[in-house]
Amino acid sequence: MVLETALPALGAGALRALTSQGEPDWLVARRHAALRTFESTPFPTNRDEEWRYTQLERFSLAGLESVAGPLTDDIGEGIRRRIADSDAEGVLVHKGGEVILSEAAIAEEGVIFTDLCSALREHPDLVREHLYRVVDASQGKYAALNSALWSGGTFVYVPRNVEVALPLGAFTTADRGGLSAGRTLVVVDVNAKLTYLDEYTSEPFDGRLFHSAATEIVLMDGAKLRYVSLQNWSRNVAHMSMIRAHLARDSRLESLSVSLGADAARTEVECRLEGPGAEWEVLGLYFADRGQHFNQYTLQHHAADHARSDLLFKGALQDASTEVFSGIIVVDEGAQRTDAYQTNRNLLLDDRSEAVSIPQLEIGANDVRCSHGSTTGPVQEDQRFYLMSRGLSAEVAEHVLVTGFLHEVMGRVTLPKVAEYVEQMVQAKLGVPGVRERL
Amino acid sequence: MADLPQHPDAEKLQGMEHEKQYDFRLPENYFYKSEKGLDRRVVERISYYKGEPEWMLKFRLNALEIAEKKGRPKWGADLTKLNFDDIYFYVRPQERQGTTDSWDDIPEEVRETYRRLGIPEAEQRVLAGVGAQFESEMVYHNLKEEWEKKGVIFLDSDTGLKEHPELFKEYFSTVVPPEDNYFAAVNSAVWSGGSFVYVPEGVEVDVPLQAYFLLNAENIGQFERTLIIGAPGSRFHYIEGCTAPTYNSDSFHSGVIEIVCQEGSNVRYSTIQNWSHNVYNLVTQRALVQAGASMGWLDGNLGSKVTMKYPSCYLVGAGAHGEVMSIAFAGDGQHQDAGAKMIHAAPDSSSSIVSKSISKGYGRSSYRGLVQIYDGATRARSNVECDALLLDETSKTDTYPYIQIEEKTAQVGHEARVSKLNDEQIFYLMSRGLAEDEAMALIVRGFLEPVAKELPLEYAVELNRLIELEMEGSVG
Repeated sequence: MVLETALPALGAGALRALTSQGEPDWLVARRHAALRTFESTPFPTNRDEEWRYTQLERFSLAGLESVAGPLTDDIGEGIRRRIADSDAEGVLVHKGGEVILSEAAIAEEGVIFTDLCSALREHPDLVREHLYRVVDASQGKYAALNSALWSGGTFVYVPRNVEVALPLGAFTTADRGGLSAGRTLVVVDVNAKLTYLDEYTSEPFDGRLFHSAATEIVLMDGAKLRYVSLQNWSRNVAHMSMIRAHLARDSRLESLSVSLGADAARTEVECRLEGPGAEWEVLGLYFADRGQHFNQYTLQHHAADHARSDLLFKGALQDASTEVFSGIIVVDEGAQRTDAYQTNRNLLLDDRSEAVSIPQLEIGANDVRCSHGSTTGPVQEDQRFYLMSRGLSAEVAEHVLVTGFLHEVMGRVTLPKVAEYVEQMVQAKLGVPGVRERL
Repeated sequence: MADLPQHPDAEKLQGMEHEKQYDFRLPENYFYKSEKGLDRRVVERISYYKGEPEWMLKFRLNALEIAEKKGRPKWGADLTKLNFDDIYFYVRPQERQGTTDSWDDIPEEVRETYRRLGIPEAEQRVLAGVGAQFESEMVYHNLKEEWEKKGVIFLDSDTGLKEHPELFKEYFSTVVPPEDNYFAAVNSAVWSGGSFVYVPEGVEVDVPLQAYFLLNAENIGQFERTLIIGAPGSRFHYIEGCTAPTYNSDSFHSGVIEIVCQEGSNVRYSTIQNWSHNVYNLVTQRALVQAGASMGWLDGNLGSKVTMKYPSCYLVGAGAHGEVMSIAFAGDGQHQDAGAKMIHAAPDSSSSIVSKSISKGYGRSSYRGLVQIYDGATRARSNVECDALLLDETSKTDTYPYIQIEEKTAQVGHEARVSKLNDEQIFYLMSRGLAEDEAMALIVRGFLEPVAKELPLEYAVELNRLIELEMEGSVG
C-alpha cells in the first residue's frame, strides 16, 4: 500500500519532462498509454506465482522521484578503466538517464550505434518498426513502467550480412538516488553478426536508486548475437531488468547475464524461438553475499519446430543472501523436434543463506527432447579434503572450489576479457587476497 | 449377466467391449441424502445423523467458516466447472451403518459393483481384511483374527470415532488442520467415512490392509477422512483403491489422509485412483514422520477429470525418511496435476520422489512438487526424478518443481525428462511379431515398471490391465 500512494506524481511529472524533448507523436502516445497501463496494473504481490519468493519491499518505488540527470558528467575511474581494458569498437555511457559519453569508430559499413533519442531523429522508421516489439507495456507492471519512462536508451542496428568484428557496449551508471529507466534495442539483420555488452556499475553514492532496464533483441533470419549483461551496481541500488529476444529462422543468440552487485536484483531473461533452426544458449551466473537478494526468471519459449535452447545458470550464496531461480521451458503445440535443456546449480556457502530453485516444463508437442535438472548443496567435502591433503588451507580450498564451480559457466563464454573480469569479481567477493585491490 | 439388477443402460451394456465394464451404474436407493450445496445446515445434519460428539460438530462448523474465508486456490488445474451448489455433500446408503464381518451381509448391488470392477470375490476373501467403502459409509469390514489379537485397529473412521474416541481425538486433524488448504477445510466440515488404522508398538503386519472406495450416486461428494497411526517400531502397508461408475454430470471427491509415523515405524500407503472421467479429485495426503521412521506413498492416478494431489511427508525427527512414487496417466480431457511434497525439518532426513507420467490424446499431466529444507536440517538429502512420456502430438506435460533450501549442508537434486514413444523400439517389437498397439502398451508398461513393481501383485496386475485399456485404440 505504501508503494501505491507514491506513484502517480512520479509517473506524470517524469513523463512531461521526457516528452518535452521533441519526441515523435507516436512515441509520446505510446508512453502515455504505457503510463496508464502502469497506473491501472496492481503491484505484484507474493500471491502472484512469478513474484512468490521476491522480497518485494526491496524493490519498492515509494518516495522515489525520477532521476533528472546526473550530478556530474564524470565517467568515473572504474568505467574509464573498463573501457580501456575492453577492445570495444563503440561505447556509450549512460548516467542518471543521460548519455554522457558516446564514442564509436565502427569499421563496418552501415552499422548504427547511438542513443535512442538520436536514433529517433536519424532513423525514425527503423526505430519505429522495432521499438516495443519485444518489451512493451502489456507485459506487467514493471514493463509498463519502463515503457513509459525510459530515457537515454541505446540503439544498435547491424545491416544484412555485416559482421561486426569487435564488441559494442554501453555502461549505465549513477551518482544519485531516485528512479531511472534505461532501454536497449538491438536489431541484427539477416545473416549479420554482433557482440554486445550491457554493463551496470556505480561507485557508492547517496540515496537509493531503483533502476529499470529493458533490453529488446530482434534477430532476423540467420543473425548471430553474443549478448552480455553484467550487473555490478553499488549496494544502494535495486535493479529490475528484462532481457527479451525474438529469434527468427536459423538465428543464434548466446546470452550471458551476470548478477554481482546491487542490494536486490531481479533479472528476467526470455526468448521466443520463432523460426525453425533458431538456437539460444542461455548462460547465467550470480554470486550473492552480504544479504543480497537475487531473482533470475527465465523463459525458453519454443514457438517454432526444430529449434534448440540450452540453459545453464549457476550461482553461489553466502552471508545470509537469498536467491530465486525460476525457469520455464514452454514448447508450443506443433513445435516438434525441439531440443530444450535447463540446468540450475546452487552452491550454499553458509547456513543463513537460502536458495529457491523452480525449474519448470510445459510441453505441448511430443517429438521433443526436453530435460531439466537442479541441484543445491554445499562445497563437496571430499573435494575440499583432497585439496587440503595437497597442502591448501581450508579457505584457499574453498576459493578454488567455488571458482571452479562457477567456471563451468565462464568457460562457455566466448569473450575472454569478460570471463576474466567476472572471475576477478567473484574472487574479490570470496575475499581472495589481493584481488579487490587490483580491480 | 441375466441375474443382475436391471439398470437404465442395461440394453446398451449388452455386447459392450471389455473396457466398458467400468461404465455402469446401479439404481440409487438411499437412506438419507443431504440437500445439494454446502452450508451450515448440511454440516449440522451430517453430524446429527452420525450421532457425533459435540467437539466434532464444533470442529466441522469451524472448518466450514475457514473454507468460506479461504476461497478456492488460484493455481493449478481448471476448477471453474466445479459447482458446489450441484453437489450432495452427504449420502448414506440404505444398509445399516457400521461394519459387517460377513461377505454375505454386503448388499447384492454393492457386491455387483465390485464384480464389475473386476475384483474377483475369491481374491477378496484371500486378501487380508478388505474394508470396503460404498458411498460415504463403510459397509464391509473384515480383519483377520490374529491382527485383532495383536491389537491392530482397522475400522471405518465413523466407527473409529465411536469405539476409540480418545485415540481418535488425540491424532485427528493434527497432521492436516482445516487451515491447511481450502479443500482440506471443506473435507473437515463434511467428512464421512474413510479408514481408521492403528498399529501398536512393534507390531508388523505382513499382509496389506486394504480398502476399496466407491462412489455410486450421481453428484455425491465423497469426503473420506483416513487417519493412520503407526506406533513406534510398527510396520505395515495400507492400500486404497478408488473406482467410480460413470455418470452424466461431474462429481467431486476430496479426501484427507493423515498418517502419523512414530519413532522407527515403517508405513506404506498405496492408492490407485480410477475415478470415472467426470470426477474432480482434490485430495490432501500427508504424513508426519518422526525420528528413524520411514513413510512411503505410492500414488497412481489413472481416472478422474481433474486430479490435484500432492502426497507429502513432514520429516520432523532425526533420520526420518520419506518416499513418493507417483504415476499418472492422462487421456483425452483429463488433467492429472499430481506430485509430492517433502518438508525436511530434522537432521539426516532423506527423501526421494519418482514421478512417471503418460499423456495421451488431448490429456495433460503435470508434476507439481516441493522440496523444502529448513535451516538446521543438517545433512538432509533429497532427490527428485520426473519422467514424462507423450504419446501424441496433442498431448501435454508440465513440470513445476519448487526447491527451497535454507540449510548449507543439504544436498538436493532434481531431474526431469520428457520423451515420446521411441519409433525404433516399436519397430523392433513389431519385427518380433507384436501388433503396433501391443508394442506401444508394452513400452508404456516398461516405462511404469519401476513403480508397478512396488505394488502387491493383484494391484500391479490391475494397473497393467487398466493401462492396457487406456492404450486401446491408440494406433490411429
